[in-house]
Amino acid sequence: MTRAGAELGVRTAAAGTGVGTSPGAARGEPPLICTAGLGVRFGDLDAVVDVDLDVHTGEVVAVIGPSGGGKSTFLRCLNLLQLPTAGRLQLDGEVIVDADAGRFPVGRRLTGLRREIGMVFQSFNLFPHLTALDNVVLAQVHVLKRTTEEARERGREILARVGLESKAESRPAHCSGGQQQRIAIARALALDPRLMLFDEPTSALDPELGVEVLAVMRELVSDGMTTVVVTHEMAFAAEVADRIVFMSDGRILESGPPERVLREPEHERTRRFLQAVLQR
Amino acid sequence: MSAVPEYVLRLLPGVQFTLILTFGGFGIGAVLAVPVAAARRSRRRVLRLLAISYVETLRGVPPIAWLFLLYFGLAQVDIRLSSLTAGVLGLGLIAGAYLSEIYRAGLRAVPHGQLDAARAVGLGTARIYRHVIGPQAIVTIVPPAAAFLIGLLKDSAIASLIGVPEVTGLSLRFTQREFEGLAIFTAAGIVYFALSVPLATFARWAGTRLTARLVFG
Repeated sequence: MTRAGAELGVRTAAAGTGVGTSPGAARGEPPLICTAGLGVRFGDLDAVVDVDLDVHTGEVVAVIGPSGGGKSTFLRCLNLLQLPTAGRLQLDGEVIVDADAGRFPVGRRLTGLRREIGMVFQSFNLFPHLTALDNVVLAQVHVLKRTTEEARERGREILARVGLESKAESRPAHCSGGQQQRIAIARALALDPRLMLFDEPTSALDPELGVEVLAVMRELVSDGMTTVVVTHEMAFAAEVADRIVFMSDGRILESGPPERVLREPEHERTRRFLQAVLQR
Repeated sequence: MSAVPEYVLRLLPGVQFTLILTFGGFGIGAVLAVPVAAARRSRRRVLRLLAISYVETLRGVPPIAWLFLLYFGLAQVDIRLSSLTAGVLGLGLIAGAYLSEIYRAGLRAVPHGQLDAARAVGLGTARIYRHVIGPQAIVTIVPPAAAFLIGLLKDSAIASLIGVPEVTGLSLRFTQREFEGLAIFTAAGIVYFALSVPLATFARWAGTRLTARLVFG
């Protein structure tokens, strides 16, 4: 582990004593997902630079920071929608990407890894030609090879869990934004992911509809789902996160328990960002 | 002009050739356009360049020149195609170029987020195209593809110049023998019109139906 990674590790332990404890970290298990020196370069632009982050099973990490700061790109690296151009990515202690050595998963290995990590997008990205239920069923059948009946039954259960059993046969176009995002969460959950990634899940919603999405996320978190969420909802981040990571210009500038990062940020850039957000 | 109905009847044997040229060419093109469009979207530069050269070469030379090349040109190197084969093949190659561009536009019209979402649930490329991108792209593809098909129906007339006895070819023959150009080509116009109207109607119907299925379910 790199020096910065070790430093983060220390902070994780500190976080454990304050807010919610991470059971995996407490038992000394390897982190569920771990990045070391992760970087993404688009041409001349460094979108993500040297990011070290460990997320243990059961932990909730909120990534905050200014737009264009690399948060989303970093999140996309975690389920390999974006392949990093530098550094390593480990899942359960196993190196799955070593960009420096040019090692990337391909084919079935790649799709297999992706399905273990659920992703929810800012713009929902539901499949518009399929009903809510079929959105949730599609990958269960084609990726997990469940039978259609099995997948539909499980799909209905999960839609019920996000409060949308009644919308099972509706197309996304007939659902509100909040409902669409909850269907998107159900679609990801249907594959029994070990980790959920949320990329600004409420940013495209008006505040009232955002509330219902946050409620579903809150429930997931309380069920122990390991979660990384990129968000501008500071109150929500403070409430559910074990750890808050502040990213700007592609780097993690600061990381720690919410009360520390949000109330007594060490970094000048974090202070400026939080002031701007709180003055809104 | 009273001879028009009679000529319509006498042109009917040409209809089968017109239809073979149209649907044969379209069928070959529709299949051929798939790998071309895929190559065009490939991450590999070589494949993209190959696809672009194919499309631009086929579109950059008049269709009639392609038919002559296939029919008279290949005969010179002892590849003798029948005029119908040369016609279908030539129209097919040309259709492949145009349709690949129509496919490409259709695929591009599907928002990138769809690809992200499909990948994120672990679907592989083939399934992504089959279940996610394809069904959405087809809505954008059908109207221009149908317009192209109707265009092809009329453009199949050029096969008359390599001797295919389709509607225009027959009309030319009758005119040379009977000097009734006005009646004969009026009749030809009626035959083409009668063929293209149902096609256009079907295309409109398919277009609205597909859109309705996608948006309103």
